[in-house]
Amino acid sequence: MGARGETWLWIAQRASAALLAPCVAVHLATIVYAVQGGLSAAEILARTRGSVGGLAFYSLFVLAAAVHAPVGLRAVLAEWAGWRGPLCDAALVAFAVLLAATGLRAAWAVFA
Amino acid sequence: MTAPGRWYAAAHRISGVALAVFLPLHFWALGQALEGERALESFLRWTEQPLVKALEWAIVLALAFHLFGGLRVLMIEFLPWRDWLKNLAAASAAAALGVALLFALSATSAQAQAWPQKPVKFIVPFPPGGATDISARLLAERLQEIWGQTVVIENRGGAAGGVGAAEAARASPDGYTLFFPSGSVMTANRHIYAKLNYDPEKDFVPVTKVVMGPQVLVVPANSPYRTVKDLIDAAKAQPGKLTFGHAGIGSQVHLASENFVNSAGIDAVQVPYRGEGPALTALVSGETTFMLANVAAAVGHVNSGRLRALGVTSRTEFAALPGVPPIAKTLPGFENVGWFGIVAPAGTPKEVVHKVYQDTKKALESTQLRARFYVQGLVPVGNTPEEMAREMREESQLWARVVRERKISVQ
Repeated sequence: MGARGETWLWIAQRASAALLAPCVAVHLATIVYAVQGGLSAAEILARTRGSVGGLAFYSLFVLAAAVHAPVGLRAVLAEWAGWRGPLCDAALVAFAVLLAATGLRAAWAVFA
Repeated sequence: MTAPGRWYAAAHRISGVALAVFLPLHFWALGQALEGERALESFLRWTEQPLVKALEWAIVLALAFHLFGGLRVLMIEFLPWRDWLKNLAAASAAAALGVALLFALSATSAQAQAWPQKPVKFIVPFPPGGATDISARLLAERLQEIWGQTVVIENRGGAAGGVGAAEAARASPDGYTLFFPSGSVMTANRHIYAKLNYDPEKDFVPVTKVVMGPQVLVVPANSPYRTVKDLIDAAKAQPGKLTFGHAGIGSQVHLASENFVNSAGIDAVQVPYRGEGPALTALVSGETTFMLANVAAAVGHVNSGRLRALGVTSRTEFAALPGVPPIAKTLPGFENVGWFGIVAPAGTPKEVVHKVYQDTKKALESTQLRARFYVQGLVPVGNTPEEMAREMREESQLWARVVRERKISVQ
């Protein structure tokens, strides 16, 4: 990948990190709220399902994670395992797709 | 990069790899909700296992480390702060995140561990002396030892369990009031009573089926009937003359009797009492001709010679009543099995429900308690809340059919 591509990845990594930090905080507040009363699965889903805001927020959260994690792994693999090149990038794109697909499926299951 | 900087970077990367492995698993598991609430409930229960809990704590640490390293890098690159201030800010944010996450993770288990802090009440919807009451008292003795708290049995008889059920349904869902019904209260009454002041499905959550057991056909000791056939022949010879007592319209004992009368093709008059105990007392004194009582309630009377056992409703001879033949020997295919269990008011924290289930299961593993139940003619069960829910749904469908065919109803 050229220098321009690397720069974009660097920006994507930082931008997704900046997005993930508040998302984690909101997610945390949601978990605390959900588990404090000892809610059952049925009760949790009764409160979450049909929430467009929840679905939008968690979709954004998932997509940010799907960008951030593979780019971070790319740096780790390159520097610690010496694995780089098109094959490595293809594997990481596949990982990003896996994260996005399973994450969006989870968001859909809980909020749609 | 400074030496501490290298360590921070390494910690950030290692924790990042751990999170990258965890994330798809976490997403996949949450996606189980698509399969329905039960699948998600099973997953939530799975997360309560010690090993999974330990993994969750490790993930929390990884997230805190990762956030610290990431924030530090972002601040170094974008903020003109002094290094110590950046480290402090990043460490504070990570620590806050870690503490909050640990709080969230421990909130539910702490709630379950803290319960019970005071006496627990079992509402038994029948008067003392019946099988429901006996089952609840035997279990309560053992649970008291496990919980270190008194378990109070409160008998609220009437309306075939409806009075106690309504009271339990309105109780605070904090786990300190639990309901100990017989099966019919949860699965049959809704089909019999035109107006029921509780909803077995919406007002309660299943905890566990405690024991199950057959009924026994009993007559007073001075009765002329010595076999099931004697009784059936007599009932056929004088239709509408013989009477049978039970614990209230729709009670387990009533349904067992209706099942017997229907299978035998006889015409007998039903006499409802406030509970199985009073119905048995009436039978001993000769007020009624016969009764299909729960073995647990009748075995004492049989062993003391006040009642004579003619047959049991299990397919084979029952260990608690040796020598008493199955009714199926006279009426091929006849079988009727009742159960007693625990349900909790809807809204009771699931951790408490799970703890009651687990502790009941543990109590039922006690050889001593099992022996005491067997002597009473009861077989310990201790199934999961999910299994209990499924069995109640199936049983409800069965009773809906029987009640419709027998035209049993109360306005």
